[in-house]
Amino acid sequence: MAVCIAVIAKENYPLYIRSVPIQNELKFHYTVHTSLDVVEEKISAVGKAMADQRELYLGLLYPTEDYKVYGYVTNSKVKFVIVVDSSNTSLRDNEIRSMFRKLHNSFTDVMCNPFYNPGDTIQSKAFDSMVTAMMVQAS
Amino acid sequence: MAQCVQSVQEFIQDSFVPMVAVLCSEDAEKVTRKNNLNFSELLRPFCRLTSEGHMRDPNNQVQVVKNLRISVNNVVTRPSVPASGVPGHAHRRLLSEVVLTCQPAEGGVANVITAGDYDLNISDRSLKASVPWYSDWRDTLTELSTSKHYTATTPWFEAYRESFLQSMPASDHEFLNHYLACLLVVSSSEAVPVEKFLKLSQEQHRIQHSGEYTNPKWFIPNTLKYYVLLHDMSQGDEQRADSVYEDMKQRYGAQGCYLLKVNSRTAAAGADEQIPDPWSQYLHKSSLQSQDQYEDPAPVVVNDTAVENNVGGTSEVDGHDSEEKDGVLVNSLDNTHPLQLDTPSDPPGSLDALRAVAVETKPPPVATGMAAATSHGACLTLNDHDRIRLFIQEFTFRGLLPHIEKNIRQLNDQLVSRKGLSRSLFSATKKWFGGGKVPEKSIAELKNTSGLLYPPEAPELQIRKMADLCFLVQLYDLAYSCYHTAKKDFLSDQAMLYAAGALEMAAVSAFLQVGAPRPYPAHYMDTAIQTYRDVSMNMVLAERCALLSAEVLKSQAKYSDAATLLIKMTSEDSDLRSALLLEQAAHCFINMRNPMVRKFAFHMILAGHRFSKAGQKRHALRCYCQAMQVYKGKGWSLAEDHINFTIGRQSFTLRQPENAVTAFRHILTNDSQQTSTQQGAFLREYLYVYKNVTGACEVALPQLPLPCINSSATRVYFGHERRLAEGEKQAATHVSLDQEFDRDLAAMWQDLEEQVVAAAKRGVVPATFQPTQCCLNSQTDNLRFPLAVVEEPIIVEVVFRNPLKVPLVLSDLTLLWKFTLKDFNRPQPQEDSVGDVVAISNEKDASVPRTPQKDDVIATEVIPEFYLSPEETKLARLKLLPHQTGQLNILGLVYNLASTSSTGDTTINSTAASQSEGPSAAEGTSVRGRQDLEIQGPRLNQTKEEKTSVSHGPDRRLDPTITPPMPLLEVFFLQFPTALLCGEIRKAYVEFCNVSRVTLCGLRVASTHPDFFTFGSSSLATPLTPLSPTSFENCSAYKTLATPPGATPGSVAAVTLVSEGDFGSGTGLGGGGVSGAGTGGKGVTEIPLGEGTLKPGESTQLPLWLRGPDQEGVHEIHFLFYYESAEKGGKISHRVLRHTVFICASRSLSVRATACRSNTLPEEEERKEGRNSSMLVFVDVENINSSEAGVREFHIAQVSSSSKQWRLHKCINPAEDKDCKLTSRERGKLCFRATRCKPLQVPSKAVEKYTFADLSLGNELIITSTTPCADFFFRRCQPLESLRLPVAMETQGRHSRSQGVGHGDGAKDIAGVVRKCNEVELDIIILWKAFVVEDNKQVILEGQLHVALQTIDKEACSMTQKEEAQEMVLLKFKPELPPPMTRPSMEQLSHLIKTNLHYPESYSHPFNQKSLCMVPVTLTLSNCSLAQVDVIIDLRHKTTSPESLEVHGSFTWLGQTQFKLQLRAQEVMRVQLRACFLHAGVYNLGTPRVFAKLADQGAMCETSQQTATPALIIIINST
Repeated sequence: MAVCIAVIAKENYPLYIRSVPIQNELKFHYTVHTSLDVVEEKISAVGKAMADQRELYLGLLYPTEDYKVYGYVTNSKVKFVIVVDSSNTSLRDNEIRSMFRKLHNSFTDVMCNPFYNPGDTIQSKAFDSMVTAMMVQAS
Repeated sequence: MAQCVQSVQEFIQDSFVPMVAVLCSEDAEKVTRKNNLNFSELLRPFCRLTSEGHMRDPNNQVQVVKNLRISVNNVVTRPSVPASGVPGHAHRRLLSEVVLTCQPAEGGVANVITAGDYDLNISDRSLKASVPWYSDWRDTLTELSTSKHYTATTPWFEAYRESFLQSMPASDHEFLNHYLACLLVVSSSEAVPVEKFLKLSQEQHRIQHSGEYTNPKWFIPNTLKYYVLLHDMSQGDEQRADSVYEDMKQRYGAQGCYLLKVNSRTAAAGADEQIPDPWSQYLHKSSLQSQDQYEDPAPVVVNDTAVENNVGGTSEVDGHDSEEKDGVLVNSLDNTHPLQLDTPSDPPGSLDALRAVAVETKPPPVATGMAAATSHGACLTLNDHDRIRLFIQEFTFRGLLPHIEKNIRQLNDQLVSRKGLSRSLFSATKKWFGGGKVPEKSIAELKNTSGLLYPPEAPELQIRKMADLCFLVQLYDLAYSCYHTAKKDFLSDQAMLYAAGALEMAAVSAFLQVGAPRPYPAHYMDTAIQTYRDVSMNMVLAERCALLSAEVLKSQAKYSDAATLLIKMTSEDSDLRSALLLEQAAHCFINMRNPMVRKFAFHMILAGHRFSKAGQKRHALRCYCQAMQVYKGKGWSLAEDHINFTIGRQSFTLRQPENAVTAFRHILTNDSQQTSTQQGAFLREYLYVYKNVTGACEVALPQLPLPCINSSATRVYFGHERRLAEGEKQAATHVSLDQEFDRDLAAMWQDLEEQVVAAAKRGVVPATFQPTQCCLNSQTDNLRFPLAVVEEPIIVEVVFRNPLKVPLVLSDLTLLWKFTLKDFNRPQPQEDSVGDVVAISNEKDASVPRTPQKDDVIATEVIPEFYLSPEETKLARLKLLPHQTGQLNILGLVYNLASTSSTGDTTINSTAASQSEGPSAAEGTSVRGRQDLEIQGPRLNQTKEEKTSVSHGPDRRLDPTITPPMPLLEVFFLQFPTALLCGEIRKAYVEFCNVSRVTLCGLRVASTHPDFFTFGSSSLATPLTPLSPTSFENCSAYKTLATPPGATPGSVAAVTLVSEGDFGSGTGLGGGGVSGAGTGGKGVTEIPLGEGTLKPGESTQLPLWLRGPDQEGVHEIHFLFYYESAEKGGKISHRVLRHTVFICASRSLSVRATACRSNTLPEEEERKEGRNSSMLVFVDVENINSSEAGVREFHIAQVSSSSKQWRLHKCINPAEDKDCKLTSRERGKLCFRATRCKPLQVPSKAVEKYTFADLSLGNELIITSTTPCADFFFRRCQPLESLRLPVAMETQGRHSRSQGVGHGDGAKDIAGVVRKCNEVELDIIILWKAFVVEDNKQVILEGQLHVALQTIDKEACSMTQKEEAQEMVLLKFKPELPPPMTRPSMEQLSHLIKTNLHYPESYSHPFNQKSLCMVPVTLTLSNCSLAQVDVIIDLRHKTTSPESLEVHGSFTWLGQTQFKLQLRAQEVMRVQLRACFLHAGVYNLGTPRVFAKLADQGAMCETSQQTATPALIIIINST
């Protein structure tokens, strides 16, 4: 499963970042931040007219030595990034896709919360537990 | 990749140039040495040819050679880099120096790249750093000064690349940097120059062919030897030189030799003439900057090896000058760095060597001159420059190019002759293996063939050799085809290293082909790199290949590929290379069409990391700073913190502590998401750095970033901190810092203060009035300078917040202030002399902890230690005690900041301990610094400008004016209860204490509940009260008189007349009563002090009576004590003291009273007095106390009345003594008769007096007309008076509406008159005693309840139903009709006349004797009103109601059956009637109907008057 899950706001600041090995948090932050360039590239690659029909799932953004980074952009330009261990070959594209879909649904729930201020960092417990379920269980 | 100064073509061309070796005789070396140069160095600036050369290719086509550059180097015989391709230590050191010394120019013009929403300040403008392309140095210099490279340049990278490429070791698989020719240089001053030439020639031959040296490598076996005769114009004989040259021409041919004349002037003579120095750019261009940073032990070692080699190489050449030669060669060898074939950039090494040479051989003056000289070519004139240039041109075009041309031709011929064979062989093998083309197999499959070496004369190498030659002379087409062929051959032989070299060069030459007939084969490069790296393990070659390829890709805008290539080349073996390549990759990302800013930033960080690992701190810092621009303020706090931390560390190690502090401050002030240990480390490091900064400059205290101060939440409190309780005494609560600010409460206090000020100033609030504010906070009005009193403390409460997850310790926390002395007592002569008033500040004192501060002016409190837990918000209260008057400004705080040294140490901590030994290290790092308190006022929003702009008003909270002394009152309460029964009377004592040195006067108190307390009336009560509270434990609060023993309780009322003005509340009430002038004074009481003043230090006790509020529940009661200074004219007009009590009132009794008109005839004596009116008053008393445990029973001790017109006369209770005890929920009823005290009293308000009538039901009489009781009565009246009117108004209003529109002004009179006759205005005071069991002790509580009777037959209650009434009021949207338009209601009108029938109760009549029975009946009519009333009595009227139907027959009235009468005001009239009965029985005589109307109101119809109660008469048949 994922080793890092991030939700990035439209303005490219993090709304939520969670990673498994706490000591490597910084590295994941850097990785996720850097992946935004690829996300932007992929979004801009799709023409403006096609923007509405754009596939939300961006696929593999880039592989690093240890990780694979996948991206997903909602229609409101909120980005989801999932980092997966490269050694984890069992994960198929479909599974990543469904992870993103789950993430999106949960994110929608967070946004529907009338007490949530759009733009704030996400502190929802439900979201948290959903993310935890998708993460590699740290041993 | 960053922009380079050179174009790609230039760069590649310059990377591979024909190499020319130099062998120099000793004397020739001496000649050049005069210019502080050796021969190769002398030539170097002129090595680029400006003119075009021509040569023929193998097909005899003339080709143009443009911009050719040659490289001239001394022969170095030492072995180069080991064949493994791993660069040695010295090599690395050299490169690292090159990079280190090349730093971006400071203060250059910022170069901003805008990428998306990022504006990146990438690099500073930097001067061109590489070797100029232009042969003319003057052009170069002007070009440099005028050109502006605003694109991002990374000169350190170019410098690195240049020196890297130049230091490439010559290898066997390629010939590009093998020597093509050798210059043999001999001085003309030589005895036999020709012999010397011969020797040098032999030497060259020996070096090339003896096999002793693998280095240097030579291109072709028969190297071109070019004989140069160097002539020193200043010394030698020119003709001799010419003749020797002629001789040489004979011997070597005109194209194989040259006479070079130099040194046209002497060094001394040339000093005045300004000759530019083109060498400075080529030689040690970094030496001047780097000398101070440079320290290296390596040169000594290098020197030694050089000497060794040299001795072996040259000693046998010339015996007699071998020593000298030795020295020169040492010199030359060392000057060209062992690993650097071209540019020496090792200045200290060369200088050392020079010095060594000088010591050995040279005369001292020359040596010192050389050592001191920083300029080169001192002996060369411009003519000499031209000569050198000409020489190079001549050599190249006449010597080198023809030589190359010849060789190419030879090789070509060889190859062509061999082609047939090889071709067929190849094609055969190809056919056999079925491949149309030699497949470029994946490298992994191929076996490692780096061991495979071709012999030097192998045919495969000949192709390569020819290709290299072609490449060097810019025959790129030919070169490409040769490389391509060679590549195929090598690949088929599995000679991977050779193949890679061929691939690399094939790609490069393909790129360089003019017109680009074929696309650049990038995959060649990739394969080459991969082969170099993985198969040959030669990182140097791989790196060269990558650098070339990246540059080419970059030129084709394939930035992404270039970046990938560069990133691939990063590895663990060289941090410097990785750093540089990563940085270039980062630049590639930002140069993409869609700039990838974040990738740029990330790779910059990686580069910074590698730089710092490579010891390039400055570069590392720069990288981090550039990456910071991307991460800054975007919410990526973890990354930002990391960068900031690194920047801080790097800055600190680079001695930029200010930057370090700023960076660290960022980490600490931002809301950090770091773990606590991390934060602790940050904090310690920050403190350590800070300490070092502040240690350097002791001038001003630094501003500290921690902890955060919420400056707007700062509160300032003026005055002492109150002690709340002292034994039995309870101090006035006043204001304290512990209270929260409440806007409503503040408004309430201000209202109270306004009231009391108005009362003190005779009803007028002065225009300058400002409410006293004892505690200033963000919500108070802080526009004015607050006033503080000298010798009274000022307490500043500061809110600290620790944003970190680690605890902070502040020590020696104190306030920082500035004070300007001013004497307010003396008249300030002029304002402009303020300038010379010196402001005193404790800033200097505070900077040193634990020093006595300026306590004579202002005593400053110091908090020794203040601990802030992680993420805690904590208040600190700091006290100032001003001793002199003036203007004080509180500036900020000074403290020592330290972290707790509980957690584990970090590296910095350990270094801190190691560096700063002694006590400072022991106590841990703590920094003394300050933080200013700057409070922004509220945002202004009044005018339009203020609304459109954001401007803030001033906030003067922290700038108090210290004024001369003022009185200070302290108030204590004794025996002050917290719980009372409703209406309970309790006596307490209050102590006023003047604790200042100024006399106090004008003491007043205002309260929100003026009916709650009384100080008693000064005239009557004071002498009677015991003075000390202790002597008065169980006595009643009331003044009592024992009733005479014989008297029946409640039989007779004691009557007293009292005027309202006698009582304490008189001022306020009287004022309110007179004309409404004193509107503000209704809740204000003057406190009866002995002499009206309270001397300094004096205190006085006064009794205080309290009465439980009538409403149950908890009451918040506010007192505001007002006092003034006896000395007038101070800056502060008055002072106030606040007190708030909470009283819990519990239910006691509920009293309901009704007044009825008595129908009985007035008693005899009253009748005599002409009084017609008496009333019955029914009092219902119910015990509604709910607490069963507390109150056992209530006794009604006394019932008193108070009214202007009425008084209770007598208790007419049927069962007298039973009703006065009430247990829980019991109810009793008391009946009283009330009479008018004075008939027709003329209402004159001035003398109006209240009649108090006391009816005691117990055995002692309470005199209600005295202090507590009457006081409370009058205070109670106050709200009722105001209550009465609207009630009456409302009823009128209702009636007027029911009756329609009013009848003009007469209506008001009627209403008044009619109302008056129904009003009673009688107040009943119920005095009770409650027996309460408290701690097994019976306590008697006393109390009083008031019932105000207003209207006859209307029930009044002691408990006001105000709340209910309010609930019932409907919202009215229409304005109410004006109240005067009223007419009295039917009901009210029906009360005009009171009727009474007087008759015998039973009457015996012998019906047998006389069948008609006549009974005389008297009808008494009394006019209740004060007006004339017309009355009609109608006897004929019969009741029509079914109940009153006569069963037994009826009676009739005899005589006149209708009367018309007129009654004057209050008149009583009797009418004699006769009733006639026919049977015995019981009859109701109440049939007469009385109609009445006001006499002067003709239009009105008569109203039926209330019938009296059934008047029954019994007629008895007496027979």
